[in-house]
Amino acid sequence: MLGELLHILAAAIVSWILFVTVDIFFRLPEAGGVSGASAIARDIEAGGGALAGGTMMGNIVCSPDASAGTLLAACGVYVAGIPGGLVAAALVFIGNRICHDPGYAGTTGAVLATFVVYGFTLVGFAATDFIAGMVIAILTIQGLSHAHASRLLARLWRVRQ
Amino acid sequence: MRGVSGVDDLLVLLFAAVALIGAVSAHLQRDRFGKLIAVGIVFGGIAPFIAARGYLDVLIAVSLIVPVTTIIILLICRRDTHDA
Amino acid sequence: MIAIYLVAALAVFAAIRATVEKNTGRKLPYVNVMNFAIAGTIVLLLDHPLALVAAAAYFVGSTLEANAIASTYAGGERRG
Repeated sequence: MLGELLHILAAAIVSWILFVTVDIFFRLPEAGGVSGASAIARDIEAGGGALAGGTMMGNIVCSPDASAGTLLAACGVYVAGIPGGLVAAALVFIGNRICHDPGYAGTTGAVLATFVVYGFTLVGFAATDFIAGMVIAILTIQGLSHAHASRLLARLWRVRQ
Repeated sequence: MRGVSGVDDLLVLLFAAVALIGAVSAHLQRDRFGKLIAVGIVFGGIAPFIAARGYLDVLIAVSLIVPVTTIIILLICRRDTHDA
Repeated sequence: MIAIYLVAALAVFAAIRATVEKNTGRKLPYVNVMNFAIAGTIVLLLDHPLALVAAAAYFVGSTLEANAIASTYAGGERRG
């Protein structure tokens, strides 16, 4: 019981680092991909957050990005191993095109996460730990405090620039 | 293992709580966007029940029908601006 | 098998946060957390290859729904 909780926490930290790195590498905080993302960014800024972080959070809401790719890749590895993760990457690619998003952040994140999750299953982690860990990771970005999360993302974005 | 046989009592309570929160919220919201988001939460609550019985094809179909329905309702909502 | 209870509890938490938040733009990220949790739950409940397709369909569908609501919200704001 306690060991599984520790595994889930470790998986949450790993997937948090993975998806934030991929999202910031693909310049998600730079501009809103669709008009809805800009509206969400404006509301988060009005609530005391930073605009760059709010734009990234709006992009996460409006299109499947690296966080969705990590979650679905973990699900794919759980049901079918590495081929499942690659199928999940293809599904994320289709989802990106449905949502009018021209980027490749989701697909890249899903392929990377497939190999990361598979590597961790070899050292004793279960793929279910990564599914729960990804939900915790997205909770820390989108669900606890929008002001603090957007300021943290804006600071990371300034480092990347 | 848990499987087609269904979910246990705690999970039933948790998912039913999601669906009930969405339903009560849809009744209480004043904004039209708030109402549509609440209807989305209701579907989020009932989706695991469909999956727990093993009707995955039904779940795929409903998952694709519900957003299209929401988009059609949005198109109707956009016509008149002052309407709940 | 504590993962599925954790994910379900997080879905309830996110649904409550989305309900008590007043602003539409700040409501959508909480709904996004709930969608992540539900998509994870579908796969955790049923270990079958089609469950992956179902989770992806649910997630893409709900993302498209959030995208449409946010776009209409942005357009309505600009028009006054």
